Amino acid sequence: MTDAKKSKGNKLTETEAIERAKQGDAEAFEILYNLHKRRVYSLCLRMTANTAAAEDLTQEAFLQLFRKIGTFRGESAFSTWLHRMAVNVVLMQLRKKGLLVVPLEETVETEEETPRKELGAADAKLAGSVDRLQLQRAIESLPPGYKSIFVLHDVEGYEHNEIAEMVGCSIGNSKSQLHKARLKLRELIKTAKAQKANHF
Amino acid sequence: MNCTEFERALADIIDDESCRTVEHHQHIETCSTCESLVDDLNAISEEARFLEREAEPSARVWNFIEIALRQEGLIRGPQSVIAVSKQKKGWWRSVWLVPAAAALLIVFGVRYEHTAPKALLQNVPLAANDVASSDDDQQLLQTVQQRSPAMLASYQANLRDVNAYVHDAQESAKRNPNDEEAQQYLMNAYEEKAMVYEMAMDRPLQ
Repeated sequence: MTDAKKSKGNKLTETEAIERAKQGDAEAFEILYNLHKRRVYSLCLRMTANTAAAEDLTQEAFLQLFRKIGTFRGESAFSTWLHRMAVNVVLMQLRKKGLLVVPLEETVETEEETPRKELGAADAKLAGSVDRLQLQRAIESLPPGYKSIFVLHDVEGYEHNEIAEMVGCSIGNSKSQLHKARLKLRELIKTAKAQKANHF
Repeated sequence: MNCTEFERALADIIDDESCRTVEHHQHIETCSTCESLVDDLNAISEEARFLEREAEPSARVWNFIEIALRQEGLIRGPQSVIAVSKQKKGWWRSVWLVPAAAALLIVFGVRYEHTAPKALLQNVPLAANDVASSDDDQQLLQTVQQRSPAMLASYQANLRDVNAYVHDAQESAKRNPNDEEAQQYLMNAYEEKAMVYEMAMDRPLQ
């Protein structure tokens, strides 16, 4: 930070940091990184459930962003641009490992794939009692394909048309996978609650 | 409408009430099981929005990014005069860091490039490497303490993180000696360790 800025006691705004980063200012890059590191890292961690992999992907996402910062014109929010880049980095990694398996057929369901819906059973409601920690653990247990769609839609707030474009599936497929993910989570959370109740 | 028909349509209607027909609404009102299902799925979706985003990556992530940006010339601009003169004054004290960083890269980099992973693991005693790293780490921290005590805590944290990274990578490579990714992961870990040393040389400790 220049002496002038120090004496003013002003921090750079994000817009100022972006312009300075384009000029190669080290501090500006660091400011941008600190502003967005938690969100990017959390996304990577949720998608991979592995801290080392999440850190590597965070590194890669920011490096890709910073290499292209000269082309950022401000048409969209910087955070949106960065987040989209992070998502693409994560999805590419999952694809490389063969973990991003989103079935192309929407209508074909097997017994193994479809979580049980317990038709006709009188289930205790989860509504009003979804434990956040149990939900986090349940998300970690989801199969990678379900996890990706669920994290992108319900946690990160992407719409189905955006997810379909990123993941490479149809909108209908995205909705179907999300629904199955939620059903699976419901099953996992109920099982966890039942086990806890039995323990006591 | 029965429960099977309702559940078949649920994926399309659950997030968009405008897509729900009168039949859907009537079924929810008359079937407690399906009503419970809809409420549960909505509760899960709602709760997911509030999942914490407070997890923070370790310091090594920024260290790596900064070094890469400098090496690629994306971070530019001269160092301040004061920083340069400070660096010049004490340069001879840290000159040992050059061979140390180079040695790390050479020992780990060359060996891992030209030796089959399995053979390498059999030849390289991990315990000995750990001891060697620890002595160098101590020397690095002593140098940092002499030159700029204010930076000591930061370098301690960096070394702790990168050593944990190296340890994880070593364990992973040991468990999967034929896995190329595990070997690459280990290479990356050693490179990062070398980069921490390089930063100590390159960056003015202010």
